[in-house]
Amino acid sequence: MSQRYEKIEFLGEGQFATVYKAKDKDTDNIVAVKKIKAGSKIEAQDGINRTALREIKILQELNHKNCLVLLDVFSQGSMSNVSLVFDFMDTDLEVIIKDNTIILTTANIKSYTIQTLQGLEYLHLNWILHRDLKPNNLLVNAAGLLKIADFGLAKLYGSPNRINTHQVVTRWYRSPELLFGAKQYGACVDMWALGCIVAELLLRLPFLPGESDLDQLTKIFQVFGNPTEQNWPAVKTLSDYVEFKPYPPVPLKNIFIAAGDDLLDVLGALLVLNPLKRKNCSEALQMPFFSNKPAPTVSNKLPLPQSIKKIKDLERPSLKRKLLNSAEGGNLSKRLFF
Amino acid sequence: MAGNFWQSSHHQQWLLDKQDLIRERQYDLSILTEDEYQKIFIFFASVIQTLGEQLKLRQQVIATATVYFKRFYARNSLKCIDPLLLAPTCIFLASKVEEFGVISNSRLLTTCQQVIKNKFSYAYTQEFPYRTNHILECEFYLLENLDCCLIVYQPYRPLLQLVQDLGNEDQLFTLAWRIVNDSLRTDVCLLYPPYQIAIGCIQFACVILQKDHKAWFAELNVDIEKIQEICRYIINLYELWKQYDEKKEIQGLLAKMPKPKPAPQR
Repeated sequence: MSQRYEKIEFLGEGQFATVYKAKDKDTDNIVAVKKIKAGSKIEAQDGINRTALREIKILQELNHKNCLVLLDVFSQGSMSNVSLVFDFMDTDLEVIIKDNTIILTTANIKSYTIQTLQGLEYLHLNWILHRDLKPNNLLVNAAGLLKIADFGLAKLYGSPNRINTHQVVTRWYRSPELLFGAKQYGACVDMWALGCIVAELLLRLPFLPGESDLDQLTKIFQVFGNPTEQNWPAVKTLSDYVEFKPYPPVPLKNIFIAAGDDLLDVLGALLVLNPLKRKNCSEALQMPFFSNKPAPTVSNKLPLPQSIKKIKDLERPSLKRKLLNSAEGGNLSKRLFF
Repeated sequence: MAGNFWQSSHHQQWLLDKQDLIRERQYDLSILTEDEYQKIFIFFASVIQTLGEQLKLRQQVIATATVYFKRFYARNSLKCIDPLLLAPTCIFLASKVEEFGVISNSRLLTTCQQVIKNKFSYAYTQEFPYRTNHILECEFYLLENLDCCLIVYQPYRPLLQLVQDLGNEDQLFTLAWRIVNDSLRTDVCLLYPPYQIAIGCIQFACVILQKDHKAWFAELNVDIEKIQEICRYIINLYELWKQYDEKKEIQGLLAKMPKPKPAPQR
């Protein structure tokens, strides 16, 4: 791997990278090392991989508790073979959603949603689009802190007339305007994805699992009805617009039976066909759901997969850790001593 | 470029102090005089500009590449990497960062060979000596020395906004834009935030065009002292340019310049 990082185990593999758990020998911290795939020989001629470069460029400018921090960049062997080093995160929202032993209460869902919204609000206020939000990119550590990760598709936005590709966002979380081929879009694409994620937290299954781009639109319209000139003016001018068989909208209440009205309002504000009518992060955070009872679960009380809890329990008696915690004044306020 | 300048790595890590520059350049300045040092950087800024224009890059990309180049040598001696290799590498990296698209390595190298042969033969009698693997290796070294800070804020956008506020004078805008380009041949991009550089260049342009915008400047909430400092850098540049014949002197300067040891195989 490198002199400094000692590989512990393989964590996962994506389209562009392989991720390992490793130990930083300089600090003894556990980190995640994301090794960007070298790609073909032709791609190697292009030097440092563009996806990696995008991630480095954006992460280096970020500083928010709900965004993953880039700790280091190193290369090995051939120079264009880059690895990025991050804080190690124990799990992600996809694992949590799929874990049947975990019960996600309204308070838990509220906590995860607020954390995501706050991280995303920070990104959007800094003119950064994530463009690939999905449960699998929302990492959670053993302390229940959620961090937005994977900025490989992220991009600065806001330049008028700038053409962007619509081939972004994993299909199930892709907004209708992207599916219709919109090349000028904004933060609303992330808001739609976030709506799908909140829905998935409730259903414990992907909300709109389309099998193709057209099927994705069908699934969307089966719930929200077809777009019309009234609810989405100019939709027909989008380059890939096609007319669909008419579907009547289904009230969200009928799909999310267990959700309270205030939570349904949040879903209804994020999952709007017309991108311009979707609420942004700051507006969404002001919605009653987030201030209504029950209060969001405090991070360290959030339910986690069994495997992580065990590690957490083992670590708890460590005196060193307690001393460290008390040394960092910041942590004190969060805890109540009886 | 969007984002928040005040929280950016540019503002927090890359606005250097004059004293830092003097300290870091100590070695190079024991061999070269300050004027000679600046002449070498003027030359390579022109190399980057010419390469960028040949490759049909936007000025934003060229400016970012030039700032990378200057940031690298703000921390390293000229002997660390031959500037003739670093210049195209900065272009290569900047065009990716600015989402201009990847310039293929072979196109970059062909352009380097042509530009050195056709436009800078007065400086280099030999062919452009570097190959793909040199650029790729150098790219990572550059990234590392930039501390992975890749987003650079340029004066062009504030310049546009300020000139609009002034009443959109085309002549003033064009001249100030050119002065901003020239300012890349000074240290101001390492020392001052881009909005101050833009204001300095507008002021300079106003003086040249004999435009009286005193009232407008008086209302700016800006440290006028800094603006004067920026103007002084630019005046010094133009003074230097006046009594300097690059075509005659540059070969001597390049020969005198500290070089990597051992020299790369040519």
